Amino acid sequence: MEKMLSGVKLYSVCSRVTPRTLAVSGRTYYKYVNDKEESLAFKDLIDRGIHTSFLTEICRGFFVAFGHIFKEPATINYPFEKGPLSPRFRGEHALRRYPSGEERCIACKLCEAICPAQAITIEAEERADGSRRTTRYDIDMTKCIYCGFCQEACPVDAIVEGPNFEFSTESHEELLYNKDKLLSNGDKWESEIASNIHADHLYR
Amino acid sequence: MLRGPLTKALPCARILSPVKTLSTSAINNEKFEVFIDDKKVMVDPGTTVLQAAAMVGVEIPRFCYHERLSVAGNCRMCLVEVEKSAKPVAACAMPVMKGWRVKTNSEMTRRAREGVMEFLLVNHPLDCPICDQGGECDLQDQSMAFGSDRSRFTDIDHSGKRAVEDKDIGPLVKTIMTRCIHCTRCIRFASEVAGVDDLGTTGRGSDMQVGTYVEKLFLSELSGNVIDLCPVGALTSKPYSFTARPWETRKTESVDVLDAVGSNIIVSTRTGEVLRILPRLNEDINEEWLADKGRFAYDGLKRQRLLTPFVRNCQGQLIATEWEDALIAVAQKLQTSEIAGVVGSLADAESMVALKDLLNRLGSEDLYTEYPFPLEGSGTDLRSSYLLNNKIARVEDADLVLLIGTNPRFEAPLFNARLRKGYLTNELDVGYIGPKVDLRYDYEHLGESTDLIKQLASGSHAFSKKLACAKKPLIVVGADLLSRPDGAAILALVQQLAAKVTTDANVSSEWKVLNVLQKAASQVAALDLGYKPGTASIRDKKPKVLFLLGSDEGTISRGDVGQDCFIIYQGHHGDHGASIADAILPGAAYTEKQGTYVNTEGRAQQTLTAVSPPGLAREDWKIIRALSEIIGEKLPYDTLLEIRDRLGQVAPHLIRYGELEEANYAEQATELAKGVSSNLSSEPVDVKQKNLEDYYMTDPVSRASGTMAKCIQAVHKQKQSKYYEEAVN
Amino acid sequence: MAKLIGLDKLANYFRVIKHNGGILGSIKTLLRTDDLKFGTLVGVDKLGNKYFENNLYFYGRNRWVVYHEKFGLNYDGSLVPSEWYGWLHYKTDYLPHEDPGRPKHKWMIQDWSENLSGSDKQYVPYGTTRTKVEGWTPPK
Repeated sequence: MEKMLSGVKLYSVCSRVTPRTLAVSGRTYYKYVNDKEESLAFKDLIDRGIHTSFLTEICRGFFVAFGHIFKEPATINYPFEKGPLSPRFRGEHALRRYPSGEERCIACKLCEAICPAQAITIEAEERADGSRRTTRYDIDMTKCIYCGFCQEACPVDAIVEGPNFEFSTESHEELLYNKDKLLSNGDKWESEIASNIHADHLYR
Repeated sequence: MLRGPLTKALPCARILSPVKTLSTSAINNEKFEVFIDDKKVMVDPGTTVLQAAAMVGVEIPRFCYHERLSVAGNCRMCLVEVEKSAKPVAACAMPVMKGWRVKTNSEMTRRAREGVMEFLLVNHPLDCPICDQGGECDLQDQSMAFGSDRSRFTDIDHSGKRAVEDKDIGPLVKTIMTRCIHCTRCIRFASEVAGVDDLGTTGRGSDMQVGTYVEKLFLSELSGNVIDLCPVGALTSKPYSFTARPWETRKTESVDVLDAVGSNIIVSTRTGEVLRILPRLNEDINEEWLADKGRFAYDGLKRQRLLTPFVRNCQGQLIATEWEDALIAVAQKLQTSEIAGVVGSLADAESMVALKDLLNRLGSEDLYTEYPFPLEGSGTDLRSSYLLNNKIARVEDADLVLLIGTNPRFEAPLFNARLRKGYLTNELDVGYIGPKVDLRYDYEHLGESTDLIKQLASGSHAFSKKLACAKKPLIVVGADLLSRPDGAAILALVQQLAAKVTTDANVSSEWKVLNVLQKAASQVAALDLGYKPGTASIRDKKPKVLFLLGSDEGTISRGDVGQDCFIIYQGHHGDHGASIADAILPGAAYTEKQGTYVNTEGRAQQTLTAVSPPGLAREDWKIIRALSEIIGEKLPYDTLLEIRDRLGQVAPHLIRYGELEEANYAEQATELAKGVSSNLSSEPVDVKQKNLEDYYMTDPVSRASGTMAKCIQAVHKQKQSKYYEEAVN
Repeated sequence: MAKLIGLDKLANYFRVIKHNGGILGSIKTLLRTDDLKFGTLVGVDKLGNKYFENNLYFYGRNRWVVYHEKFGLNYDGSLVPSEWYGWLHYKTDYLPHEDPGRPKHKWMIQDWSENLSGSDKQYVPYGTTRTKVEGWTPPK
């Protein structure tokens, strides 16, 4: 303690003069972080002996624990209570639709190009009505790193990372999402996705 | 003679034409110096600013300018500043003057480019995400490099963006005319290279439109090239539409085998699927063009494929089997020396040499190609008899070409494009013996009779004088004509004619007058390897086993060999060959194997593996190698290198890839041909592919292709159109 | 005064018991949710889950859901439909029917299902592209 204080003093003195001299004169300030040797003075020995024989620390610990029974818990009781989330939260992917029900994705493949984990695979062709659509839109959710680049790259807000994080599965293959799964995710979560985009629209 | 309508119509177009350059150089032939960005460069008179800049490695942005087309000078993207000039000049059309100092990077140049780019973008829809050109678009790239980073376009609420109705110009080229920036490259290509004056512009200002004037399809055997030429996404490929982006495809350099020209191609693939085929630059063969069959027939590689081996069971039904069963069944039948082999038009040299080795070991010498060729005289022993000796590229230099019994427009479209180029720029005259066909340039039609060749050879025909006067005459004979029963006599006559022309016209020994235009990609390699042309002798011999290596042209049928002959078909498509076979071994198509092909001028080239063969199909030479081991006559090569060593033993030029092996014994061939009977049949000279609809389906790949079928439908539809008129020469 | 000596805590305690349907009900709720709380019912979703709010509890615990009886002990976090998701996660203070940013399109899926992994109705991936190469079949 003494050493530390003196160190502080020395430092402050030095710094007041000029910080350069400190660097030149070498390091004198340090903090001892290991256990210090306990004092062997008689008074201290007696103190420690009484605390040990009367279990004071354990009793105090018990009281602290007992007191917390009557306090409101600091944890939340998932799945009944859920923690706060941002509208920008990046969870499970979804493909969105236009209000008319037409899928948004136009197979421009920008998400596929930007995906740093190469989790997205797209194949496209001309649909019967001549529009540009995907025939395959696969996301390997086990490769995905949830960086959100795909939704940033999307020119039509088709691929989004929705709010859902409760999509854990029991097998690997269930996380290999195809186009149907992603579209049905979009249909399922549209209410929340639209609300999130609405909440964020001022900042875009 | 008005040969290129556009070269005359556009004043600046004449700058590049050789005639003009010649006349200026006659006055002042000395090089003079100009400065591009303070770099000194010595140029010929008549050089444009853009060409001078290219000499010192300065690339000037451009949309309408293209090296192989006439200069239009209408996009204005190439504006550069010239010192002491008040206005920027268009670099593509302006010839440099002595001592000019051109600034390609000055403030004025920069602002000129930015302004031009802004005008272009005002009238461009910016629908890059759904545009197929995205990622390989000149407008995209150049707006990133030279455009402004912000927009001043505010008219979206009033008159809005320019919008133009799309045009239906056929099943190959998709038009999204709103994206058009009016560079007129497609128009110039159509009228100059393809020789189809269908495209043009109407209206002016923002009402300008590129189109066909009347409702009409743009049908040409070279139409696909306008897709590559279009700097934006206005003309894109219909079969490839929306399927892929350029950055996600794997590109494999390969060679087209659907005609005998051997055009260099790039095969774009992804997920084991051929997505499109693009031309690869090769000045000696295809320049940067590609014919439509080679470009668009790739969807045939995905249909009608042989995916498993088949063996006919006791009920006479073809049953899909495993390789082991099929190979054992075939091996059992091959324990005889009465075997004949026939190779088809798409076979590679590796599998042909393996088949030849195998059948020779089994004691058979009966190896044939599908297309006949006269065996009398020197036959196929001297290569000069069956090659296009004078090289494809040198056709441009000719001043007189006599075409006999060939329609190069459909048999070798890029060879025909060379002829047309010579016709436009080099005052080339063409004489033609055969049925009247449309070659897209004017020719002197001599007639259809075979007697004409006799008359020409004896010098009694009026055209003989022209031949004698010509400085660089060429005679091109179609391989089809020589496959007639009197082919030997025709070849002998043509050889005599060529010899006569060579001496009469006193051409240099470098210049080869006699040329044979082949149709099949495998034919030259097969003849080089010692295959006998034609299948006629199989009908006489009636072998017990017939091995068809991809022969699908129907030159041999079940009736020719009898019911008890065991027919083995090895190939990649379920076509004619597979339908008569007792056992089918699935092989690889040209995009799926590393194979050697020799084109009609005798140039060995190789295809590379772009995708793996589908299903259980395997590379052809490996199948034959495996079969040989089961028969007990193991062929001594296990790897591609080893079999190519063997190829080199048989014909060393087959493994010197990219190099042209010339044939030099034309005189000896002519001597040997003198003994051939000169009895010509009275049958007129004919060609098989007369009209455009005959062009599209000529081999198992293009016959399986849906795109090619659509093309034929489109041609038929066009014929019903009220605007259709029969081409007249 | 009552607050000072903790009587309000006792009062809340009785309120909680009452809210959960007496002593027996409270034991049942405690068994199911490991917690006893009281609050105002702000809404019921289409699955019958009830949403409560009581700002007496600190932020993070002041909104909660009680899953419908029919789920018994098989309740799951993913049983909250997307309409209520934002409110429950404190993204918005609007209740679903008040929120102007929530569209109601007819193509939106109405039957909410929880995470079905492990059940026989789980999602199993399948290809959505047609066969790349068409094979030849011998003529009969």
